[in-house]
Amino acid sequence: MSLDKRVGAALFEVIDPELGVNIMDLGLIYGIEVDFDDNIRIVMTLTTPGCPMHDSIKSGVLHRVSQVEGVGEIKIDLVWEPAWTPVKMSDRAKEMLGMR
Amino acid sequence: MMAGGSLNSDTNIKLPLAFILYALAALVISQIVLFLNNDVLAAGQFRIPDIWMGAHFLLLGYAVMIAMGAMYQLVPVAFLTPIWNQTFGFIQFLVTAIGVTAFSILLGVMPEFALYGGIVAIIGIMMFIIQMVKTIFKQKKKNTMTLFVIGAITSFFLTIVAGFLLAWNVSIGSIGSHGTILSSHIVLGVSGWFTLLIFGFSYKLVPMFSLSHGYSMKWAKPAFITYIAGLISLISSFWIENTLVQSTGWFLLLAGFFFFVLDIREILAKRLKKKLDKPFSFSVLAIFNGLGVHMLAFMFSVSGIRESAVWGWLIFLYVMSWIIFSILGYLYKIVPFLWWTHKYADKIGKEKVPTLKEMINEKHAVILFTLFVISVFGLTGSGLLYIEFFVFIFQGLLAFTSLLYALSIIQVLIK
Repeated sequence: MSLDKRVGAALFEVIDPELGVNIMDLGLIYGIEVDFDDNIRIVMTLTTPGCPMHDSIKSGVLHRVSQVEGVGEIKIDLVWEPAWTPVKMSDRAKEMLGMR
Repeated sequence: MMAGGSLNSDTNIKLPLAFILYALAALVISQIVLFLNNDVLAAGQFRIPDIWMGAHFLLLGYAVMIAMGAMYQLVPVAFLTPIWNQTFGFIQFLVTAIGVTAFSILLGVMPEFALYGGIVAIIGIMMFIIQMVKTIFKQKKKNTMTLFVIGAITSFFLTIVAGFLLAWNVSIGSIGSHGTILSSHIVLGVSGWFTLLIFGFSYKLVPMFSLSHGYSMKWAKPAFITYIAGLISLISSFWIENTLVQSTGWFLLLAGFFFFVLDIREILAKRLKKKLDKPFSFSVLAIFNGLGVHMLAFMFSVSGIRESAVWGWLIFLYVMSWIIFSILGYLYKIVPFLWWTHKYADKIGKEKVPTLKEMINEKHAVILFTLFVISVFGLTGSGLLYIEFFVFIFQGLLAFTSLLYALSIIQVLIK
């Protein structure tokens, strides 16, 4: 499995503590980029600007990705645009939130 | 893409927690004091020293201290700006806690010396206002929430000015218009400070806790302007003694509150989290209680009801079913968040950590909130009907429920 796929799989284990749903299913991860030296750049957002879980979720991503074998340096870019919308959620997340 | 930048919201957990723990103790004390004086409550007499003591432990000791603690936590998060000076915050806590305790006790046992406790409390509150003004001043992009918080802080300042004049009168005397100042003090405190503050934070917390998206907040500015106009009109009516201006004031306050409810209704209609957490639902229920009391106040005003006991119980219902219920519900979200951040934030992504919901016992919360509803509405009904036995029972239940509630919050801190 490629490194970006393994990083993506690891991020399924980072749970938003308020919603109880992982950040991949919530659609908070906009992109995972890997360069030639296996350094990782993660572009992500949160469900709302000023989310109190900001620091916790960001450091959770950092911790979990650092445990993936073969990962170089990790950079996390938190962005507010494009803003997160419910469309970005997976069916599983929608089900967990009682939307289905 | 627009970068998120640094939020730097890391308020030292000890600061909001200090306020919250003091407030929980004050809540229990206030309810015990009121329970011990259930006979005067049953007689509809609110303007006596023991009731002043209970009311100030409740409003200053519990509600104000919780509001301060919550603001130390929420302002950096919601305004994306760090607290101006945290060390100053700890000193402010000590001064305010000493002042509020001394002031409340002196009001009950030696009202003639209450002024001195009041001065310390005022110094503490002024320190808080300075802290918040300095913090908000640093906010780069002001928003609707800023407007409500500035309105609330301004009302708070005017409340303590009026409160100081009242304490001066009780201790030394000589300032006229005592009753008018008292009415202004109550309106500025409960409607100006608390209501505007809860409005402001609700615009952030309700969408956050219900995961709402695509709402407009189109009624926020009309709600703010109308509510402020209502406050000015109502307070003016006390001074010029004009019933038409007074009824207009009550109408504007009701309209402002209604506009706020329209926005909340839209936010909830567009929520993604269909099953809301029970404590949060309790805070939402409180919003409708507030609207109901505003309706009653307007109706009583146009019907010419002037009986002080009726208005006394209506103020009690507003304070308890709107302000205190809102705080009780939100505290069940804020305290688990604070403790979770302290204990588990560094472990996320490393090991399995509990969700915020797992930090509290929702079943117990439902029982407690039900008991709060029964005791508050039961107490108001029996108080209005002057049934001493039921006032005793419901105030006893309220004191007991407050104690259980305080213990349930403390329980979160051992998880």
